[in-house]
Amino acid sequence: MSILVALPVLLPLLAAALSLVFNTFPRVQRVLGVLVLSAIVVDAAVLLAHVDRAGPVVLRMGGYGPPIGITLVADRLSALLLLVSAIVTLAVLVFSIGQRITDYGRDTASNTFHPMYLVLCAGVALCYVTGDLFTLFVGFEIMLSASYVLITRRTTAQRVRAGMTYVIVSLTSSLLFITMIALVYAATGTVNLADLADKVAALPPGIRTSLGLFTVVVFGIKAALVPLHFWLPDSYPTAPAPVTAVFAGLLTKVGVYALIRTQTLIFTSEAIWTLLLVTALLTMLVGALGALAQNDINRMMSFLLVSHIGYMLFGLALYTEIGLTGVILYVVHHITVQASLFLVGGLITRHTGTVSLRAMSGVATAYPLVAVLFAISALSLAGVPPFSGFVAKIALLRAGAESATFTAYLVTGGAVLTSLLSLYAVTKIWVGAFWGEARPPYEDPDPTDEVTVGTGNTSRGMVTATGALVAAGVAIAVFAGPLAGVSGRAANDLIDGKSYREAVLGAAR
Amino acid sequence: MLILIAAHFLVAALLPAVAARWGRAAFVVATLPPAAALVTAVSWSATVLNGAPPTESLSWAPTIGLDLTLRLDPLALLMIVLVSGVGALVFVYYAAYTPPEGIGRHSALLVVFAGSMFGLVTADDVFSLYVFWEFTTVCSFLLVGGLGLTRAARRSATQALLVTGFGGLAMLLGLILLGTAAGTFRISAIVAYPPSGAVVEVAVVLLLVGALTKSAQVPFHPWLPAAMVAPTPVSAYLHAAAMVKAGVYLVARFAPGFADLPAWWIPLVVLGSWTMVLGGVRALREHDLKKLLAFGTVSQLGFLIVLLGVGEHVAAVAGATMVLAHGLFKSALFLAVGVIDKRTGTRDVRELSGLGARWPAFTGFVVLAAASMAGAPPLLGFVGKEAAFEALLGEPFVLAVLVLGSALTVAYSLRFLIGAFGSKPGVSLVDSEKPGAVLAGPVVIPALAGLVLAFAPGVVEPVIAGYASAYPVAEPYGLALWHGFTVPLLLSAVVLGGGYLVHRFATGHPGRLPEALHAQTGYDRVVMALDSVARGVTGRLQAGSVPVYLGVILVVAVVVPGAGLLAGLTPLPRTQWFDSWLQVPLAVAVLVAAGLAVLARRRLTAVLVTGVIGYGIAALFLVDGGPDLALAQFLVESLTLVVFVFVLRRMPTRFTEERRPLTEGRWVKAVVACVAGTFVAVLAVLFSANRDGLPEASVEYIQRAKEDAGASNVVNAIIVDFRAFDTVGEIAVLAVAATGAASLILASQRARRKADR
Repeated sequence: MSILVALPVLLPLLAAALSLVFNTFPRVQRVLGVLVLSAIVVDAAVLLAHVDRAGPVVLRMGGYGPPIGITLVADRLSALLLLVSAIVTLAVLVFSIGQRITDYGRDTASNTFHPMYLVLCAGVALCYVTGDLFTLFVGFEIMLSASYVLITRRTTAQRVRAGMTYVIVSLTSSLLFITMIALVYAATGTVNLADLADKVAALPPGIRTSLGLFTVVVFGIKAALVPLHFWLPDSYPTAPAPVTAVFAGLLTKVGVYALIRTQTLIFTSEAIWTLLLVTALLTMLVGALGALAQNDINRMMSFLLVSHIGYMLFGLALYTEIGLTGVILYVVHHITVQASLFLVGGLITRHTGTVSLRAMSGVATAYPLVAVLFAISALSLAGVPPFSGFVAKIALLRAGAESATFTAYLVTGGAVLTSLLSLYAVTKIWVGAFWGEARPPYEDPDPTDEVTVGTGNTSRGMVTATGALVAAGVAIAVFAGPLAGVSGRAANDLIDGKSYREAVLGAAR
Repeated sequence: MLILIAAHFLVAALLPAVAARWGRAAFVVATLPPAAALVTAVSWSATVLNGAPPTESLSWAPTIGLDLTLRLDPLALLMIVLVSGVGALVFVYYAAYTPPEGIGRHSALLVVFAGSMFGLVTADDVFSLYVFWEFTTVCSFLLVGGLGLTRAARRSATQALLVTGFGGLAMLLGLILLGTAAGTFRISAIVAYPPSGAVVEVAVVLLLVGALTKSAQVPFHPWLPAAMVAPTPVSAYLHAAAMVKAGVYLVARFAPGFADLPAWWIPLVVLGSWTMVLGGVRALREHDLKKLLAFGTVSQLGFLIVLLGVGEHVAAVAGATMVLAHGLFKSALFLAVGVIDKRTGTRDVRELSGLGARWPAFTGFVVLAAASMAGAPPLLGFVGKEAAFEALLGEPFVLAVLVLGSALTVAYSLRFLIGAFGSKPGVSLVDSEKPGAVLAGPVVIPALAGLVLAFAPGVVEPVIAGYASAYPVAEPYGLALWHGFTVPLLLSAVVLGGGYLVHRFATGHPGRLPEALHAQTGYDRVVMALDSVARGVTGRLQAGSVPVYLGVILVVAVVVPGAGLLAGLTPLPRTQWFDSWLQVPLAVAVLVAAGLAVLARRRLTAVLVTGVIGYGIAALFLVDGGPDLALAQFLVESLTLVVFVFVLRRMPTRFTEERRPLTEGRWVKAVVACVAGTFVAVLAVLFSANRDGLPEASVEYIQRAKEDAGASNVVNAIIVDFRAFDTVGEIAVLAVAATGAASLILASQRARRKADR
């Protein structure tokens, strides 16, 4: 069973290497990618079922235990996120394949896309399953380096420059991350997460809190917490739709996951929760206001992404079982829905030939299916029932009401206000893009640019992949019962912390 | 009940296909679910009235308290008669009314709406209530906006969505706070054992925001008249009979538990009465029959809110009766306007003339409905109004306002009738074909029902009394046309006479009516302010400059953990500056090289001094007794230098041609960079001083390198054995970087070739 923990990392890495070797056989690349990602979906599903029944699965790499070796751990939270991410990456890959076939034909191979995409998937998976702070850094690096290539490939000089904002900020955050690891090791002499849980608890309060806050800042950059979020809306919209979809869906959520893991397992300090609560409020409001100020559909959705990171932070900062249940539900919902929104955004811009909401018009008349897909995703994002965002939001609002402190009430109110602002933002997209008279697409200004707009054509693969992802989002709402059950048990694990520590260190410790 | 709701949604899903095949017949199919709902609900009425409301429950996500619970009590039954009954009538009417395009979309949305309203009024837990509440909001948005072809449609739909969406979210928060305080999310349980406390008062106000927005009360009301851009049957159903009653329903539902709280009854009575008068005055100024009725609806909803909000037995009887009466006469009147509009092509009272003489029978039925609205005997509106006056005899101030509002209602009812059917001098007589049975039937049925029920209130009285029994009965009140010569009868006479005078005055002096407060401007201002705040905040924060972003990140990285450190008051450890004299020159060299690297203008110089830093640190490792580590550092440093030199051959020699002036911005950057560096150094000293001796992991690495990994170099053992998995990952990173660089170079070559061509 324990090999299932490593496969989501190893399979895509191997496949990436093969994909690079077979870079003149586009069909092999396509089949390989889809097969491997499908295998990971199955792997993650089996893993989740097992972990939910029998407790965390631990794999000691090379047989070395903590503190010297690397441990991979899958608990309910890891396995759940692994499963959702695998589904999203698979759908986005299919979309991408569809788009590439439409744009370049079946026979154009890619040197970079398939290998880099698979490496990215491996990095994301590694972040979820590692039980080691340094390996988490390696996971981030794998994921980020692949994302640097994906955001700058096959594009114009201007877009490369926009991508450089992303690269430079990410490198800075990596630098801070490695500094943080050095400090952690200096203070405790271990980088194993479970081991750290014990050792950090024994540190003097000042050192403990400042280390905890340092991790918040490091992961906060990746998760795009206000005021560490500026890079995101400036860089994500410059990438092609499927790349943005997977960035928006997964990369920020890996930061959120790292925050959840480190803060619940290792630090758990009252001061940090208060800071996170205030940051949550700021993130929600600044993001939502940012969205309202945009005319570019992709930029607007990027700001909404920032805003909704605030929700996840909110539940985490309450640090109650129902709060964490809400966070987990929200992460699961948001990975799926944000990715599908960007895919739909890709369909919209191809049909209209522009990203400007003021310039587009009448998509609902011309492409009713796109309208339906957008409406479901957008309503879900805005937390309108009965979609997945609503289910997750209810858990969070209940958690806020139950915490019953002034700050908790304040942030709960902020969350409700953010919901309204999000609804307004997606309404702006709906009114701008979907209503009015249908018009032919604007012409593509630069056909060599990978970010193709205005070709007017989409393939069945693209629409099917988007539809499947939207359906997955609806399924989250339909199966909210079992999902909330798993999330609740995962939240309980996080607060308890014992099952994770015992699985890694053995019951004796 | 669950099956009925599911049937609505299922039929809605099929309707677009049905419409594509059979056109208008889709509306006949659409009539089935609400008709079935009505019949089923009425057939259960015996059980309902015996005090054993049927309850059904469906588990959704019990972990977080999400369930779907439905309960059919007398109030729900009363609402279903309206929601499903009027729904079925409107759908029949729509089949004759609609133009051939968009049938599938409209019928499907309307059936979804009908199902949602059914769910809304039967929901017995707060989340189900909210779910259906928001369904109706979204349906309304899509039905008002249509395909968004006109600016007015887009604006009105957005306004309706934002205002009712705002209220809905406030209500959700209120419901959650209430449920949390009560320890249950079942509405019947919350109302039966209402919680108390400051939080509950806030929750109640939030709840009322939901009710007041949905039922278009001051100051939220302008969305309702604006929503009149929707097709008339949609207005008749959503914006007169059903959806706008949701707010009234919410008040009626929760009043038995909370009507004693000042936070509950003060806003309801004040805003309700204000709305009643304001709506009446605005209705007198409108020329468009539909808008006239819309303001009339606003006014009547205010009346209902007051009656149902005060929480008293007779008032509840009056409120429930008026809810029914209003649903009947207002849907009849709206549908009549639709008939007039469709047949004559106008709804403007200044263009319509002589219709009463052309369509005498039709006019007769519309007069019945309008008279019920005016509260004239012998109609249900009169019966309800008598009860209302009776209920509020002890509250002279509120009573006076309601009498004034009722007089205004009489006035605009007259204005409506004369405007629609009267003959006006100087306006050419309208000559139009009479409406057929399908169009006229849905007008006639509710209008007649208002007459019949007035004579036989016993048909509905058990239901109304069933609801009102939630309050203690001081003196039983029976609905009737005739209670003898009472004060309410006198007031009714005053109302009718006064209304006639008001109408005469308003017709004679159209300019003399008071200019009502323009809440629409308020909404526009709020939205504009929101947009400009959004632009201001974002414009100020989102600088678009990488140095600013990095600066913010570094400042946060210093301030936040620094604050944590200071708050913990960690004592500075006793530590010595250096262990060996050799460390001093090495440290100085590293620091100087770091300074030079920043100041260097030539790229090569910068790279070389960076190399000095690396070698210096490697030497420090060596002095500290880590030859393995030093070796690794030397190798990495040398390799990096070689690579850099190759790259630098292709780049300009200097970073900038001119020496840049030391501006304020550069000083700030320098300070931020130095502070961040110093901070990290301080942390490193503090943290490592916390621990004595080698860490457990280091000890084990050194011990086991030889025997387990067969390596005499510990760094090697770590990289290729103990933590080989990390190395695999880092190799992947290198491969990715190489691929990325290659792809960029290829891309730039492609671009250059293209430029050459």
